[in-house]
Amino acid sequence: MQSTKANYSEKLMQAVFYLSALISIIAVIAICLFLLLRGIPAIGEIGIMEFILNEKWKPTDYPPSYGILSMIVGSTYVTAGAIAIGVPIGLMCAVFLAKFCPDTVYKIAKPAVNLLAGIPSIVYGFFGMEVIVPFLRENFGGNGFSILSSSIILGIMILPTIISISESSIRSVPLSYEEGSLGLGATKEETVFKIVLPAAKSGVFTSIILGIGRAVGETMAVVMVAGNAVMPLDKIKLLKPIRTLTTNIVTEMSYASGLHEESLIATGVVLFVFIIILNTALSLIKTRDAKN
Amino acid sequence: MRNRKLLFIIAAVLMLTLVFVGCAKEQPSEQPQPQQPVEQPQQPASNFDADKDITVVARDAASGTRGAFHEIMEIIQKEGDTTVDKLVVGALEFDGTDKVITAVEQDKYGIGYISLGSVSERIKAIEVNSVEPTIDNVKSGAYSVARPFLLVTKGTESDLVKDFLNFTESIEGQKIVNDRNFISAVDSPKEYTGSGLSGTIKVAGSTSVAPLMEKLQEEYNKLNPDVKFEMQANGSSQGINAAIDGSYDIGMSSRELKDEEAAQLNRHVLAIDGIAVIVNNENPTDDLAAEDITAIYTGEKTAWFEIE
Repeated sequence: MQSTKANYSEKLMQAVFYLSALISIIAVIAICLFLLLRGIPAIGEIGIMEFILNEKWKPTDYPPSYGILSMIVGSTYVTAGAIAIGVPIGLMCAVFLAKFCPDTVYKIAKPAVNLLAGIPSIVYGFFGMEVIVPFLRENFGGNGFSILSSSIILGIMILPTIISISESSIRSVPLSYEEGSLGLGATKEETVFKIVLPAAKSGVFTSIILGIGRAVGETMAVVMVAGNAVMPLDKIKLLKPIRTLTTNIVTEMSYASGLHEESLIATGVVLFVFIIILNTALSLIKTRDAKN
Repeated sequence: MRNRKLLFIIAAVLMLTLVFVGCAKEQPSEQPQPQQPVEQPQQPASNFDADKDITVVARDAASGTRGAFHEIMEIIQKEGDTTVDKLVVGALEFDGTDKVITAVEQDKYGIGYISLGSVSERIKAIEVNSVEPTIDNVKSGAYSVARPFLLVTKGTESDLVKDFLNFTESIEGQKIVNDRNFISAVDSPKEYTGSGLSGTIKVAGSTSVAPLMEKLQEEYNKLNPDVKFEMQANGSSQGINAAIDGSYDIGMSSRELKDEEAAQLNRHVLAIDGIAVIVNNENPTDDLAAEDITAIYTGEKTAWFEIE
């Protein structure tokens, strides 16, 4: 009797888990369908080459021009800048937290890093607009709204992702590696940078890719510091304003109509392709890691 | 071991800079504040370097304010049957009035445009062609940068919707328009008395019109307590589309209707909204010719000294 009862409750829980899994899968499929059904016709109408390889974004002109090349390049630059700023700092911080940090400092530093992850992006945006933009304007010229200001904000925003994943992957390297290296007479620094870090490589790459994902997809913070000017490719500079794929959607979505609105959804499709590429890279790393 | 300590110190310094990066950068901006009031009376506007590039601030391409401003200032230029928005390359584009104000407030060399009702002391609204941006000047037509606030319906509306539209065009309704610093567009408004009707009126559209609409609904409810409103502020184009497809009774628009839209809708002018051209408070400029504003926004003039 008892075993059948247990069986029933097991079956029930199984169904609950199954349903939960189903809901998240349905959500992904629904979003994909929405994007593709609304975005693909627009891309078809504009022409895929015209859409992706044209730098002229003039949705209110007649005839209108819907080219997002400038924003694809913009997203790439801003993300690259964020990686250039965030990865070295984040990686060093992870090494410090995992291997060199005294317990008392760790008790403060670790929650501080976690707090960084919890700050809403709009607050980052305010901080950027009120502090970083004027700082750049006064010290580097230009009007401050620029690729650099966006990169700095995003560089800070991706820190927690990079730090926490890198740190745990550094911690998961077997102690025997370290002991062997130290036993052979290597210093602690040599051990950390030549043995532990290479062994934690896949975790570090994972953290970087997740960081890229966050930087590419971030919207609210970037819209406040990037300036959102659509720049022709030859005029894109570090200290000039820029528009990214995400900020293009958010600045114009509220008022857009017709093909203009659909072209913004199509911009979302391109963004989605970016994220799919990143996720594929991520799973490639994971499968390669599993083989080793 | 010495190496290890060194590395620890470097890492600790790095962490500290990270943690205190906010505080460190805020300090310099705090310091000049007590000094400025002392300096300013002696040499007013001495900080203003007219050789510097103008920071042109605009709204996003889908904004009603932008559509109105760019059309009035001839930044949008029609050549044959093509229309081209000649906004200068590198102009900042923001999706809200508050962001435009913040950008101009912070940047001494900035210029922007916002709804007249949103002007505050954070920025300076300048004269256009030596005409001050005041309600009287917009009403008389002397101040040229203005746009209509429209209510649109499909023409098949219920008596209730008709009654509400009558209210907005009545003495009581237009008083609210005037109180909110918008300009009344109704020539001889009639008096309104409550109708005692009941039901729901669904309104959607311009975020610029929405605050005024809310006030109108409040007053209408005092006279007709059984009427409920559902309102969505989602932009002029959305409101116009919602009125066309019948999903909402009334659409709000802060831009003039396009021809294909006008053909399907009844148009009521609720009010006229002036657009103010704003500059930083430290900018000595008080007056710009309309051609100069156009020249700035199209990139023909890029520094303040070029403007006489």
